[in-house]
Amino acid sequence: MTSSKEISPARDMASVVMACLFIVLGVVALWDTTNMMDSDSSVFPRAIAIVMILLSIALIVQKLVYPAAAKNGADARASTIRRIVLVAVMLLCCGLMPWLGFLISGIITYLLLMLVAMYDTWTPVKKIIYPLIAVSVVLGFYGLFAHLLQVPLPTGILFD
Amino acid sequence: MPGIDYIFAALTPLNLLLALIGVIAGTVIGSLPGLTATMAVAVLVPLTFSMEPASALIMMGAIYTGAIYGGAYSAILLNTPGTPSAIATTFDGFPMAKQGKGDLAITLACIASVTGGLVGAAFLLMLAPPLARVALAFGPVEYFWLAIFGLTLISALSEGNLLKGLIGACFGLLLACVGVAEISADIRFTFGNQVLIGGIETVSALIGLYCVPVLIDLVATPDRHLKVTHVPRGFRFLEASAIAWRAKFSLLRSSVIGTLVGILPGAGGSIAGLVAYSEARRSSSRSENFGHGEPEGIMATESANNATVGGGFIPTLVLGIPGTPPDAVILGALLIQGIRTGPSLFAEGGSIVYTFIYGLFLATLLMLPVGLIIGRYAYKAIITIPKAMLVPTVAFMTIIGTYAIRNSISDVVIMILLGSVGWVLNRFGFSPSPIVLGLILGSIAEQGFVQAWTIGAATGELPKMFFGRPISLAIIMFILLSLFYPLIRKRWIKFRTENRQ
Repeated sequence: MTSSKEISPARDMASVVMACLFIVLGVVALWDTTNMMDSDSSVFPRAIAIVMILLSIALIVQKLVYPAAAKNGADARASTIRRIVLVAVMLLCCGLMPWLGFLISGIITYLLLMLVAMYDTWTPVKKIIYPLIAVSVVLGFYGLFAHLLQVPLPTGILFD
Repeated sequence: MPGIDYIFAALTPLNLLLALIGVIAGTVIGSLPGLTATMAVAVLVPLTFSMEPASALIMMGAIYTGAIYGGAYSAILLNTPGTPSAIATTFDGFPMAKQGKGDLAITLACIASVTGGLVGAAFLLMLAPPLARVALAFGPVEYFWLAIFGLTLISALSEGNLLKGLIGACFGLLLACVGVAEISADIRFTFGNQVLIGGIETVSALIGLYCVPVLIDLVATPDRHLKVTHVPRGFRFLEASAIAWRAKFSLLRSSVIGTLVGILPGAGGSIAGLVAYSEARRSSSRSENFGHGEPEGIMATESANNATVGGGFIPTLVLGIPGTPPDAVILGALLIQGIRTGPSLFAEGGSIVYTFIYGLFLATLLMLPVGLIIGRYAYKAIITIPKAMLVPTVAFMTIIGTYAIRNSISDVVIMILLGSVGWVLNRFGFSPSPIVLGLILGSIAEQGFVQAWTIGAATGELPKMFFGRPISLAIIMFILLSLFYPLIRKRWIKFRTENRQ
């Protein structure tokens, strides 16, 4: 949900690069269909891969023949580091879950994400209240899923 | 029409209480991303085993209808459909919320859901046996064309670049092929990775493609998630009712579409919502506003997906074939209760069936106050909660919700990675909606296409198979209308303007 704020001719080339990536993806998909035993399995993905390659070529032609600056959604104030850390922390949670269990990895993830999303000043009250809320929210969801909805959440190898 | 006795049987204090509890529980569960209506019904169905059959059915119907509506909350407030049937609600719901009209959007969704639910229940009450025969008239080729009809929405969702939208849809269709092929059980696009054999789970992909990009953008700036107005505006019920009244024909049409799609086994609320949205956009005088916060878009989707509840019960009760996935769970519960579904059920088990249908009306009506109250608190929570709380809470919900679908950490990893890819693609103009459409409609389209192809090839009537059946031709006509109507209308208006001058 990015807003269009400035015009950047470089973005057109980016679309061409993306189209090239889709062509590569289509070729890989086509190659994979050659390993399929039954034609019923390969006919649909093969048709889609071919259509995707043709559309990507059409996009490249469109961008090269009719050059028009694309919309650039970049926001100068936006923090790329926070974006990357958010994704990294969520993936870290998946890595920790089999070892520490859902509850502990959930609390660690929640606290780390809280730090990533914090733009206000950490007042003494916030330093006490926010972690307490974090633990309560994770415990609440854990209780709802593990006990009420009977979802078998991982307990963690270290605690087995 | 069945007598008044059944209405009183449905209105006992116990049934009222069960309907209320069911609607509340369903709405709350449905609002959590990852927890679908099927899961809501499946999780709560053991509670009904010890109940009288009619009361059990009323509670299950209430959970189901509440869960379908609950999916609208996260679709509107977080751009993440709580249930797959609320996909099209994000198209206009989230833009409305960004414009500071999230409260109005939620009230509109509630009114539309109630309307759709009532229309679906009315069809179930009055036309169940004849309509059940429609389900049997749908073969593989009709399902294929229906999926293609859903895909025509890409032209509307591509925001000015149809090529990118179509490429995105192809990407989604290829993602839908990952894993074991449904028809011949070949393993496709796993590249030796065991994790991918199970395929890409649709709901986790939905959460990733819609919610992770919102989180990534949310964390990047100190700006508020949604525009906030400091003037208390209440439920905005009268304003929403006036909008709904103006769009009454669209609301009714979408409800009928939802009921009819609900009758088709396996089609479900997501297709109903997409088809109704497509039709509402095509026929609206404000079609250019669709996708940018058009109230009619929300109402079309929400009325259609709630109408599938009543519609889905038609083949379930009359033929014993579940119309939607939650109906399959309910069918199982009915068998445990000792109820045999089938054409004779309406005659032999009339008291149970008609008490249940009136109970469904009751649950749908209860959804109005319950939905408005819960919706208001959900909206207030989202706009007032500090960002340092909102981001981790939503991220945590996406993780636990995705995990709960198949108890799989790999699904969570796929969800996060797909979300990150979706964010990057969105930056370059490849919006997530066509990818999602491809992913959801891919398996239906493929199954229908391959089955129809096989039958057509075996009978030597391939063209007739695809283009010679009356229902197929009707759907093809709608596809062509959906694709070319905006163009034809534009040309017609231009022609008329030139003629006047």
